[in-house]
Amino acid sequence: MAGKRAAKRDGEQAAGEAVVLPPDCRMATLAALHTELVAALPGGAVELDGSQVERVDTAALQLLVLLRRALDGRGGTLAWRGSSAALNDAAGLLGLAKILELPAARPA
Amino acid sequence: MATVDLSQFHQTFFEESHEGLDAMEAALLALDSGSTDHELVHTIFRAAHSIKGGAATFGFADMAAFTHVAESLLEEVRSERRAVDAGLIDLLLRSLDCLRGMLDRTSRGQPAADAGSEALRAELAQLVAGAPAPAAVQASAAPATGWAIRFVALPHLLQTGNDPLRVFNELQTLGRLEVLRAFVTESAPADFAALDPGQCHLGWELRLHGAVARADLDAVFDWLDGDCELAIAPLAAAATEAVVATPVPVAAATPAAETPAPAREATVASGAGHTDGGSIRVGIDKVDALIDMMGELVITQSMLSDIGEHFDLSQLERLREGLAQLERNTRELQDSVMRIRMLPIGSVFNRFPRLVRDLERKLGKQVRLELHGEHTELDKTVLEKIGDPMVHLVRNAIDHGLEMPEQRRAAGKSETGTLTLDAHHEGSNIIVRISDDGAGLSHERIRAKAVERGLVSATQPLSDDEVAELIFQPGFSTAAQATDLSGRGVGMDVVRRNVRDLGGSVGVKSVAGQGSVFTIALPLTLAIIDGLVTTVGAERYIVPLISIVESLRLPADAVRRTAGGGEVFRFRDEYLPVIRLHHAFGCADAVTAIERGIVVVVEDGGQRVGLLVDELVGQQQAVIKSLEKHYQQVQGVSGATIVSDGSVALIVDVGGVVRLGRRGKAA
Repeated sequence: MAGKRAAKRDGEQAAGEAVVLPPDCRMATLAALHTELVAALPGGAVELDGSQVERVDTAALQLLVLLRRALDGRGGTLAWRGSSAALNDAAGLLGLAKILELPAARPA
Repeated sequence: MATVDLSQFHQTFFEESHEGLDAMEAALLALDSGSTDHELVHTIFRAAHSIKGGAATFGFADMAAFTHVAESLLEEVRSERRAVDAGLIDLLLRSLDCLRGMLDRTSRGQPAADAGSEALRAELAQLVAGAPAPAAVQASAAPATGWAIRFVALPHLLQTGNDPLRVFNELQTLGRLEVLRAFVTESAPADFAALDPGQCHLGWELRLHGAVARADLDAVFDWLDGDCELAIAPLAAAATEAVVATPVPVAAATPAAETPAPAREATVASGAGHTDGGSIRVGIDKVDALIDMMGELVITQSMLSDIGEHFDLSQLERLREGLAQLERNTRELQDSVMRIRMLPIGSVFNRFPRLVRDLERKLGKQVRLELHGEHTELDKTVLEKIGDPMVHLVRNAIDHGLEMPEQRRAAGKSETGTLTLDAHHEGSNIIVRISDDGAGLSHERIRAKAVERGLVSATQPLSDDEVAELIFQPGFSTAAQATDLSGRGVGMDVVRRNVRDLGGSVGVKSVAGQGSVFTIALPLTLAIIDGLVTTVGAERYIVPLISIVESLRLPADAVRRTAGGGEVFRFRDEYLPVIRLHHAFGCADAVTAIERGIVVVVEDGGQRVGLLVDELVGQQQAVIKSLEKHYQQVQGVSGATIVSDGSVALIVDVGGVVRLGRRGKAA
């Protein structure tokens, strides 16, 4: 499975607009993000920008994990344009950093 | 983030906790009487759990700690690792009493824990620790070198305001946290678009390394109970050691190990200091009815102001209609508002199963309690005050009324006595009956006692009813030998006085060998009465409609003088005393000749008298204002009200006047 994922990452260059995760990336704001991600899903390659994330909760990380799963299911790819320390810490604590393949925290 | 002042929620917490305890008590008693319904255990557990949660939230640490231990015990029952027996139920009931006491103390701002609660907590903890349980639980007593945790969120977990992130953060503070595996659960929708981001579909397998006490671990997951599936096991290597090795008394070990055997008298009396003037919970349907009514009132009002703006005599009929409608609306609105204060009597009934159980044990009697009409609604004020008199009557019925099993058998009755509480509406009254199938009142003993106390003379002939009435006399103590139940300084006269204060009456019917029935009649509400407005001289008096039997004009020769100086008249085959209200209340310029006034026949507690007034003015609803509060108590007057022309009218206390009349007759 990991091999398959890696293979997909190789062909991810065709990304269009990145979906920007809001600074307050928590349950209350997720409906909008969810809509955006659903819209981006048919393209097959989703690029996320997590560099602005200051606050994040389990619900947000779960949304990303399930996005990853949906993309895997249809042979799509997930790429990151940037991540933040808050996002990386939370994902690390919940043991989700690997699944999400988060890059090191740095401004985009 | 803004901080919230939690103290504003304290009152709600206390109220809900009391409700929770009541529910626990009911469920425990159901279990006690042999029910095997598993749902009961869940009810008990849930109640304990929410009290713990609330107590922890509001920082009532003592209470949280206490409920935590109780909950652990209940958890064992819930997972069927511990059987329910009489001893356990007894312990849990005592814990419940103790919690009530803690709640009351906390609500008064005192420290919740006392020696009793601490001893009981230790007793509970010891039971939990010493449980004959699988190895996992036994090992939990000793700190392990680590824990394997499988934690799967239920979908609604995030809705409760919990976040696994916080949980993991807390776990990190206890020891080194390792996420073995994070996974998406079956509950997640296959279609990403169908996902509700508020639902949680994640699970984790964790390792927490370090000498972490199980209690600390439990404390972290406490919040998530019911919101996740949780399995905690000591790490394999540590587990075997913990079980095999002799237990080392480590500071972090469960407190039960060092606590001495608890005192038996751990129970704490509760209910003494209930905070008054609390809030009231109202069903939304009642509020909706109010709003409906309000709407109609507004329509009527606008119709009337419409008429008023261009009024001419041709519209008189419409104006009358409008006013009639206004009156109807007002009355309905009043009814709806009053209904808000009405609560089911079940909340009072609910305390009796426990009382009966305790008395059964104490006295060695067998009692079956039957409750009827729990849904009968009663004014909140009346409800709060009727509890004590009822408790007294129930105690009496079991203590004095019901016989010991062997006596019952000898009398050819079932060994188990039956005590029935029944409430229902009768006109504008609520009738509460407390009946037992015991021995009935012992007329000889009552009579002997009354003679001894000088209440009646030894030769005076008394009917059965009159003998029964004697027990309500001040100074008559029913207990031949004082048990610790009776002889609390509360006699039946106090019961009667309390009920009278509520505008009600209490009476007894008894058949020797078959039992007694105590009947309490209460007004639906204390705040409003339907009354007949009468004039006496320049004053107006209102006679409550419910006590009026008939009004009549008597010819002068219908009234006869009695030897004692009283007056009587014949009314339906009986002679009733006449009470001249102008005389009783000292009104000047009143009608004194019987034939020119009106006699209003009133009844109270089975006694009838005729009240002489000048004239009848009409019927009116009166909102009762307390005289006592604004002036002072006046005998024969229960309150005052303001009549339609703005003047003050006094409301006749029929019971008080009847007593005045009887005293007159006796004199």
